[in-house]
Amino acid sequence: MAEFPSVAWFEAVAGVFNSDESYRGAGGGQCHCQAGIKVGKRVFLLVFEGFECAEVREVDVSELEPVDFYLEMPLKDWKAMVQDIAANGAASLHYTLNTLDLNREAGLSHSVHGDQYREDLFFRYNQTFQFFFDASARIKTTFAR
Amino acid sequence: MGEAIDLATAEIELDLSWMGKQGEWGTKVSPSKHGLTLADIQVGDYGNPPEFSDNMTGRPRGAGARNDSYRIGGYSIRTRSEIWLENASFLYEEALQRQWSSATDVPWHTIEPLPDDIEEAQCQLATFLTEVEFVAGDVPARWISETTPDYFEPRNVLLAQVMDESRHMDVFRKRALANGGGLMQATGGTAGVVGSIDLARDFTEMSTRLHISGEGAVLTIFRMGELMAYNDAEKTIYRLCAQDEARHVAFGVMHMRYMSEEAPERREEIESYLDEAERQILAGSQNPAGNQTASSEALAVLLGGGKDKYDEGFNKLMAIRKRQLQEYMKRVRSAGFGERFENGRSRVQGMIEASAA
Amino acid sequence: MAKAKASQAAADSKQGQPGAIEGIPQPKFDWAGRSNQWGTRVKPGKHGLRLGDLNVGIYGEIPEYWPDQTRNPRGAIARKGVPPVGYSIRDKAGLWADSAADLYEEAIQRRWAPATDVPWETIKPLNEGLERAICQVCTELCQYANGDIEAISSWQHQMSYGYHEVKQFLATASFDGARQYEAFRKRALCNGGGLGLEGPGKVNRMILESRGGWSEAVTYLFLLRGTFTMTMLRYLERAAYNDAERFLYRHTLQDKARHLTYGLEHLQYAIAHQEDMALIMQQLMFIGDRIFAREMRDNVLREALAVIFAGGIEKAGSEGMAVYREMMTDFMETYLGHCSWLGVKRNLEMMPQVLTQYVTRA
Repeated sequence: MAEFPSVAWFEAVAGVFNSDESYRGAGGGQCHCQAGIKVGKRVFLLVFEGFECAEVREVDVSELEPVDFYLEMPLKDWKAMVQDIAANGAASLHYTLNTLDLNREAGLSHSVHGDQYREDLFFRYNQTFQFFFDASARIKTTFAR
Repeated sequence: MGEAIDLATAEIELDLSWMGKQGEWGTKVSPSKHGLTLADIQVGDYGNPPEFSDNMTGRPRGAGARNDSYRIGGYSIRTRSEIWLENASFLYEEALQRQWSSATDVPWHTIEPLPDDIEEAQCQLATFLTEVEFVAGDVPARWISETTPDYFEPRNVLLAQVMDESRHMDVFRKRALANGGGLMQATGGTAGVVGSIDLARDFTEMSTRLHISGEGAVLTIFRMGELMAYNDAEKTIYRLCAQDEARHVAFGVMHMRYMSEEAPERREEIESYLDEAERQILAGSQNPAGNQTASSEALAVLLGGGKDKYDEGFNKLMAIRKRQLQEYMKRVRSAGFGERFENGRSRVQGMIEASAA
Repeated sequence: MAKAKASQAAADSKQGQPGAIEGIPQPKFDWAGRSNQWGTRVKPGKHGLRLGDLNVGIYGEIPEYWPDQTRNPRGAIARKGVPPVGYSIRDKAGLWADSAADLYEEAIQRRWAPATDVPWETIKPLNEGLERAICQVCTELCQYANGDIEAISSWQHQMSYGYHEVKQFLATASFDGARQYEAFRKRALCNGGGLGLEGPGKVNRMILESRGGWSEAVTYLFLLRGTFTMTMLRYLERAAYNDAERFLYRHTLQDKARHLTYGLEHLQYAIAHQEDMALIMQQLMFIGDRIFAREMRDNVLREALAVIFAGGIEKAGSEGMAVYREMMTDFMETYLGHCSWLGVKRNLEMMPQVLTQYVTRA
């Protein structure tokens, strides 16, 4: 059991993701980028190298500068997404990352640097990130208040 | 016919002088954490693509040359800046790693009958996307055989692109025929019109039109497709196509960036290609989110949730256009041509304001 | 968002009257209801939803001649007045093979990535003669792949979309070429060696100069060169010095086998549907055999293979050459067998002795 959001939660998800080879095919595959996850004021940095999420750490908001892109939502929206994934085994139609990005007025994916080439990594590796969050269905999640 | 070399005897004396004419020797590379990638083997002379290639025999870069070898290639692309980009090896490996199968990776069983107007709109869009992906398959192929193998890295990325586009053609045909519908009327918007991608006479001209404006626009459509999907199969189709398309766009951005830095004398020419591409962004029927066409109406029906919700869908389509244009601007900036948005040359900012009004 | 909600409310209040809101154009919906065949519902089978499964009703009608020079998908309603793109291959006999759709799907299912699928770590230092020979063969295999890539990609865009299955299969074949090019370059550079001496290029030029049409290119690329490459790969696989090489040769062999299947089936179709095609092929092979023989007179590839088969230079002239002869005998038998299967008569007396010396059976 791990609490969202926390390093422990992302590490638990990474454990499931890294050990399931089915995530390496079907449009998944090697992924090389740094992604930020912003939950309210808390920021987590995920480093993807090859087939794995190699590193997770909590960072200061100022450290979003070097990431290729970061995903930002308030806790209640992250919670809704994670709960949807847990209930369905994978994101249902309204909770996939791309849909959230387009449906939300403020979007989901952002960058500090504004370089679209790097922001496009969100699209280039979209299936990998979807697989990553879908892997959270296989851990027990509690939520911070 | 002719003299034969006597190979019937048991013992042949070998010449082996060729062993002294081989390429640079003593190269040893080990696989990195991510396997043995093309980037890993860019060592010594093997990693140095020449600025100008005089290789007309199809010799692998770095191999020993024979003076009597036949010329096989009438390569028109022999100057590095014409096709090069810094991360071609990376994009090629990425393409290999992220291939998918439209037969088995799409959960086709999740498709259920849809209301007629939705199915019809989906089929109209699928017909259009099948047609448009034909362009993106045909055109890069034409340039591959024109390119010297000294620049095999970008050539391999283009080969991967032809493969990707082939899969896109097939997945949208599959979608059109999978749920009680069928193909509809082709738009014809992808053929021989002046200024189209087919007519490019230069690789960078083609790449500007195909990778930056054309595929950039289609990438947004794929993302929208994921948003308006009615089942997991459609979600998967659009998401995976968007991944591929983003790779093709990345090729264009990085090539333009390289060209802009290495051949600044061609900047003005490239600005002209961008002028032309921008004129077509909304007016051209190649863009399904462009001005009112069968495809844009179909999109609005899908986005709204039916013909009776067309207006709602249309408003979402306006948001698509805005987003498409914003992403286009940011990509062109990333490629090193952002000035056009500040000096009044580009009308894209005006288009964004108009679509928001 | 607020705007969208307002629009939603407005739309709800006037159901069925889209476009009545100010600023939103009235839709024409003139595309609706326009299909040559509606009501198609192809279900995925045991192996998924395959390209060939889609060939139902009019969507599976593949005409002998495809006059449309636009990108109209087969079965869709064509739009009149569209300027032609200029496809030159519009006869089914010029490219068709019934298996193209299945081979396309097979290529995707059996894809592999040299970077991560090949067990590179199993390659250990070899004696220099052997390493030089392996690097030489890898270099020539790169050049063969280059021929595949340039030949296929120069024809692909000339093929009509009425026969999209073939275009799609060829997209996999040229992508296979890219992989072969990459994989053998990696092998040449990973074990203390380097690339070898370039090949003579005679056969590559012949393939690229097949101006008589795609069927001519298929004859040289897949039937002649393809059969030779496959035979060579089979012998290389047997002689591999580690699991990495074994993997490389075996997987490339699989790819080449798909190409040959298409090639044979297409040529069979062309012969069955085009008068005098068998005679044309007889002439093409007469020419092709001579050019192939000229390339085979070159000692480099032969010696490199002999060194590999013998495990080094020392016994290459005896044991290595014996295996080489065995390989060539295999090649000639297979090649002549394919010609016979196609119904293309071959007269051994008219063939170069450089090749017929390996034919042991009448």
